[in-house]
Amino acid sequence: MEETKTQTGLDIEEIRRRLRGERGQRYWRSLEEVAETPEFQQFLEDEFPNRSSLLDLDRRSFLKVMGASLALAGLSGCRFLPKEKIVPYVKAPEEVVPGKPTYYATAMPFAGSSIGLIAKAVMGRPIKLEGNESHPWSLGASDVFSQAAILALYDPDRGTTVKNRGFVATWEEFLAEARKVLPQAKGVRLVVGDVASPTLERQLAEFQAIYPNAKIVRHEPVSRANVREGAKIALGREALPVHDFSKARVVLAVDADFLASMPGSVRYAREFAGTRRVDEENQSLSRLYCVEPAPTPTGILADHRLPIAQADLEGFLQHVAYLAGAASQPGAANLAPESFWNGLAKDLRSAGAQAAVVVGDACTPAAHALAIAIQAKLGSVGSTVRYVAAPAVRSDQRLSALVTDLESGAADAVLFLQANPVYSSGLGERLGKAIGKAKLSACFDLYETETAAACSWYLPAPHFLEDWSDARALDGTVSIVQPLVEPLHDTLSVHSLLPALMNRPSEPLAEVRKTWAVDDKTWRTWLNEGVASVPKAAELPVPATVQAPVGRSRRVDGFEVAIRPDPTVWDGTFANNGWLQELPKPFTKLTWDNAVHLSFSAAESLKVSNGDVVRVTLGERSVEGPAWILPGLAKNTVLLHLGYGRRAGGRVAEGAGFDVYPLTSEDSPWGGVGARVEKTGKRAVLASAQMHFSMEGRDIVRMGTMEEYRRNPSLKPEHAHGEAPRDLTLYSDEEKRREQEGVQQWGMAIDLNLCMGCNACVTACQAENNIPVVGKDQVQRGREMHWIRIDHYYGPRAGDGSGDNPTHVVQPINCMQCENAPCEPVCPVAATVHSHEGLNQMVYNRCVGTRYCSNNCPYKVRRFNYLNYQFAQKNFDRKEDIPLLKLLNNPDVTVRGRGVMEKCTYCVQRINAARIEAKKKGRDIRDGEVVTACQQACPSQAIVFGDVSDPNSRVSQIKRNQRNYALLGELNTRPRTTYLARVTNPNPEIEA
Amino acid sequence: MARLFSPVANTIARASLVAAVAVPVGAIVMGSVVSRSPANTNVGVAFDQPVPFSHAHHSIELGIDCRYCHTSVTKSSSAGIPSTETCMSCHSQIWTDSPLLEPVRQSWAEGKPIRFASTGEVGWNRVAKVPEFVYFNHSIHIARGIQCNECHGNIQEQHMTAKGKPFFMKWCLDCHRKPEKALYVDEQQPDLTPQEKVFAFYRKIQEGAKLSARELALKKGREYQPTAAELEKGREMVQKMDIKVKTLADCYICHR
Repeated sequence: MEETKTQTGLDIEEIRRRLRGERGQRYWRSLEEVAETPEFQQFLEDEFPNRSSLLDLDRRSFLKVMGASLALAGLSGCRFLPKEKIVPYVKAPEEVVPGKPTYYATAMPFAGSSIGLIAKAVMGRPIKLEGNESHPWSLGASDVFSQAAILALYDPDRGTTVKNRGFVATWEEFLAEARKVLPQAKGVRLVVGDVASPTLERQLAEFQAIYPNAKIVRHEPVSRANVREGAKIALGREALPVHDFSKARVVLAVDADFLASMPGSVRYAREFAGTRRVDEENQSLSRLYCVEPAPTPTGILADHRLPIAQADLEGFLQHVAYLAGAASQPGAANLAPESFWNGLAKDLRSAGAQAAVVVGDACTPAAHALAIAIQAKLGSVGSTVRYVAAPAVRSDQRLSALVTDLESGAADAVLFLQANPVYSSGLGERLGKAIGKAKLSACFDLYETETAAACSWYLPAPHFLEDWSDARALDGTVSIVQPLVEPLHDTLSVHSLLPALMNRPSEPLAEVRKTWAVDDKTWRTWLNEGVASVPKAAELPVPATVQAPVGRSRRVDGFEVAIRPDPTVWDGTFANNGWLQELPKPFTKLTWDNAVHLSFSAAESLKVSNGDVVRVTLGERSVEGPAWILPGLAKNTVLLHLGYGRRAGGRVAEGAGFDVYPLTSEDSPWGGVGARVEKTGKRAVLASAQMHFSMEGRDIVRMGTMEEYRRNPSLKPEHAHGEAPRDLTLYSDEEKRREQEGVQQWGMAIDLNLCMGCNACVTACQAENNIPVVGKDQVQRGREMHWIRIDHYYGPRAGDGSGDNPTHVVQPINCMQCENAPCEPVCPVAATVHSHEGLNQMVYNRCVGTRYCSNNCPYKVRRFNYLNYQFAQKNFDRKEDIPLLKLLNNPDVTVRGRGVMEKCTYCVQRINAARIEAKKKGRDIRDGEVVTACQQACPSQAIVFGDVSDPNSRVSQIKRNQRNYALLGELNTRPRTTYLARVTNPNPEIEA
Repeated sequence: MARLFSPVANTIARASLVAAVAVPVGAIVMGSVVSRSPANTNVGVAFDQPVPFSHAHHSIELGIDCRYCHTSVTKSSSAGIPSTETCMSCHSQIWTDSPLLEPVRQSWAEGKPIRFASTGEVGWNRVAKVPEFVYFNHSIHIARGIQCNECHGNIQEQHMTAKGKPFFMKWCLDCHRKPEKALYVDEQQPDLTPQEKVFAFYRKIQEGAKLSARELALKKGREYQPTAAELEKGREMVQKMDIKVKTLADCYICHR
C-alpha cells in the first residue's frame, strides 16, 4: 500500500494544454485533478484509500478473521453497567446549575490587538469560545485563532512549572534570584511583543522607573510597523487606519487580506458582506479590486484580481495615486493593461468618498503613505476610513542592539515576556548564544519555547482564560480579560510578575483595576458587557492634500520571496495547536506543513512538482522545503509561511514543516528580491486535503457575473440538469408530507457570494462537536474528521489562458441532510435514519462500521473513525490523573469511538436545548433561537440556519432567492442545505 | 477387531446432540435473563453510601419537598445532588451528634466533598444512571407532568435508595411512543399545572390523602395499566400540550 503515499510528479505542460483546451465554465480543485494523476484517480475511486481489503487475504486468514468476528460480535455489546460516583459540592456556587452552561465575556489578546469573546463554561470548565455581539470587532463572530484558543488552555504540553536550567524550581527561587541580580545589573532588558494591554504598558513604565537601566525591546514577528511608519510619513505621527467597508462601493485591496487575516478582519468581513448581498430588489454590488503577490481569501472574493510581485506594489500604488490625482508622477503603468487602469481610475473617482484603498501590513511605509494620499484626494477619509492614533508602541532598543549589548555585556539581565525571538527572528542563533552570557535570563511563556531553552529560567505563563488582564482592540476599544478558571498549573500572571520584580507584590485583578480606577458598579458592567466604556483612540485629522513619497517598483532579479504569517499557525504562536495544524490551509489545503509556494510558470521553468524539495536562497541565507504549486501567485514570487520548523514548544509543534525565519531580518521581515530557487533532488511527503472527498466535476459551483445574473438569475449553466422533478417517484409524497406535518423542518442556506473560505466555521465545528485531531499520517490517507470542509475550486479567468491567475470559488460542505438521503437505505443496521424534523440522524451505538453510507453519499461528508482518535488523547497526557484534554469535550455531544461513522448533525444538541426551553414555555422554537456553531462563527454571515417550513423564517426568505440551488440536485437527494450562486461584479470596461 | 465404541457412546452421542442445541440456547436465555435481572440492572439493589440517607424519612415523615435538595430538577437536565451545605442547613441544628452524620460534618469542617468514613472513597454511589450516549433531561419531563415515580419507583418509601426501573431503551420508548399512558390530571386538584401536579402528589402522599388507583400504583412503583377512558383523557392532554408524538421517538431526541 506504500506506493500510494508517494506523490507523483506533475506534467505542467500537459496541465496547461488541458486548461487551455477547456471550454466554458470548467472548475477544478487541484492540479492533480486536471492532470488526472493516478493519485487523484485513487482518491476519486475510493474515498478512503490505503486500507486492507478482504480480497487481499488468503482463504485461511479470511476464515480466521471471520470466525473471530462472529464469535466476538455478540460479546462486544455485553458488559455490566459501570459503577459511577457523584461528588457533590460542599457549598454549591450560586450561579452554577448542573447541566446548564454559564457564559462570561472576555477577550483574546492577539498580535497587538484583541477580539471580544464570550466563553462558555460547563460546571466551571470553559469549553467553547464565541464572538461577543457587543464587541465592535467581533459582532458575535470570530476567527480561526479565537476558536482554537480554547485548545491551548488544556494543552498537556503547556509549561506547568518554573524551571531553572531544565530542573524543576519554584517562583520563590526565581524571584529571590531576580531581586538579587536586578538592582546590580548593568543593563536590564524586557523583550515584549506589541502589547495590547494598557495595564502591562503601565507596569512596564513603572518597571523602568524603578530600574532606570532597564530598556524595553519590542519584538513582534508579524508587526504593523510599516502601517504606523507610513502614517508617520504622511500625517506626521503614528496612526492606524480603521476602515468602514459598509460605506464602500469600490474597494482596492493592495496585498491586504482584510477579510480574513488583517487585524479587524472579523468586523470588516461583516461590513463587506453587507455590500455583496444580491437579490431581486438589491442588485447594486460593491466592486473589489485585489492586487496581491500571493492569493488570499480576500482575493477569492475579488471581482478583479491582479497577481503582482511584492516589489511592484509601491509602483502600482504610485500609478493609482497619479490617476486619482494625488501624485504628479506616474508609476509603474506597465503592470496592468490600459483598460484596467482606466476602469480602476474611473471607478475610484466616481466612488469618491465611497472608495476604499486598503494596503496590507507587508507593504512598505511609502505604500501606506500613498494610500493615505489617494484616500485624502478621493475624499474617503472620514467615510470609508479613519486614521486613529496608534497606541504607543514604545521600543527603546531593537533586537539587533539587544544582541550586541548581550554579547558585549552591556546588558546582563534579560526577561522575555511572551516573546520568542530565538525562534521568531533572523537573529535567532546569535541571540541564543548571547543569552548565555547574561547573569539572569528568563523566558515567561505558555510553552517551553526555543527562547526558554536558551534562557536559564523558564517561567510558565497562564492562558488568557486563567488570568485577569485588559486588552485594546484595533480602534482602542478596551475589553477586560476575565478568567474563567483558576490556573491549571503553577503559573503567575504577568501583572503579578512585574510587581514582584519591583518588590511590591500584587494581585493581577488589583493591578488591572488600578489601571481603570472605576467604581464596582461600572466595573461589573464592563465585565458583563465585555467592553469598557472608555474613550476610544483619538481620530487624526487628515488634510485634503497629503504629500507622499514617490512609490517605486524594485527590480526583481530571479525570484522574489514573500514571507507571510501562516494562515493557521500564524507566526508560530499556535504551532502546538492540533486543531490549527490540521486545519486545511486556504488554497493549498495543506495540513501539518508549510511549503515553498511556486507559481505555475516558476514550477515549469524550474521543472519542479508538488513535493520536490527546493532550496530558496535570499542573500546569504537559505532554507529548504517542499515545493507546492499555487496557481494565482505572481510569476516570480515565492511564497513562504512563517510558524513552522519549531525546535521546541511542544510535541505538536516540533518537527512540522521548515523554518523560514532565517530569511527574515529586522529591516525586511516580509522577504525580499534577488532570491534563487534550486532543486535539491529530494522529495517530501505533504498532507493536502485538496483531493479528498471529490465530487468529480459535476455542476457543483455556480458562478456568474452581474451581467449574467441579470440575464439568468439562477445562474444555472445551460447544460446542467438542475433539480430533479419532485413527481418522479414510485412512492407518493403524501406519506413524507404527513410525516413532516406540524413539525419544524430544519434547513440551511449558504451564500457563496459571502464565503471567502476563512475556515472559522471548520474550527468552530471542531470545538463544538468534539472532533478529534488525527495527525499528518492519517490526513494523507484521507481520514481527516472535520464535519464541515471548505472545497476550493479554481476556475477560468477571461484572458488568462495560462492558468497563472485562475478565479476561485470556495464552498463550505457539511452534511446536506438530504430528504432522500442516499446513505439511509444502504445501512444494514439502520444506524442512519431520518427524523421527523428532517435531520439525517446518525446513531453511533447502532453503527457497525460498514461504511456503505459513506460510499453512497454523493457529497462525501461522512467521516469514519478508523482509530480510537479520541481515546488516544490520553497518550498525550503526561499526568494520568489529570486527563486534561478530556476537560475540553462538550458534554452535550457524544465522544465517538473507533469503528463508527459520524457527520454533521446541524448541531442537534443546540436544537434540542432550544426545543426543551421552548417547550417548557409551551411554544415552538422561534426563528433565530438555534444558531449552529458554523453559523455563529461565520464573520460574513454566509451561513443561515432555521425552520424551512416557516415561510417567514430568515432561511426560508433566503432560499427564495433566485440564486438558490441544490448541490447535485439532479440526483433527487433534495438536500436541506442549499447554496446561493456566486455573483461577481467585474467592471465591464476592463478587458481582462 | 476390537469395538471402537462402547455402548456408552450411544448415550454420549445423543446427549451431545441435545447439548449442541441446549447449551447455546441456554446460554442465550441465561444471558438475557441475567442481563434483565437486578444483577445487571440494579433495580431494587441499594448501594452502600457514605451516609445511610433515607428518602422515606425526609420526604414522607418530615415532608421535605424534592426540590429542597434536587434544586435544578425543574430547570436543567440534571436534577442536582445536594451540597454538604444543604445537609448542614438542618443538621447543624438537629442530630448534631449522630455518628451516622459524621461524614457530613467532616466534609463541612474540611471543606472537602463527602466521603466514606470506612474507605475514604469520595462521593455517593450513583443509583440512577442512563448510559453515556443518552441525553436525558429532567426539566422537560417535570414540565410535562411526568411523576418522579414513573422512573424512580417507590422512591418516597425507600429507606435505602435503590434504582426503581431498569432504564432499558424499550421502556423509555414505551412512553415516548404513547405519552398518553403517563399523562393524567389529578381529579382532586384539576387546576394545577402539570409541573405543580408533580410536587402536589408528594404532599398528598405525605398527608396520607386518598389516592387514585394510578397514584397508588405510582407510589408503590408498580406498573399501571390505564383504562380506556384514562387513555382518551391522556390523548386530549397530548393535544392540548401540543406534544408532537411522532417526533418523540426520533433518535436525536435522546441521542446526539
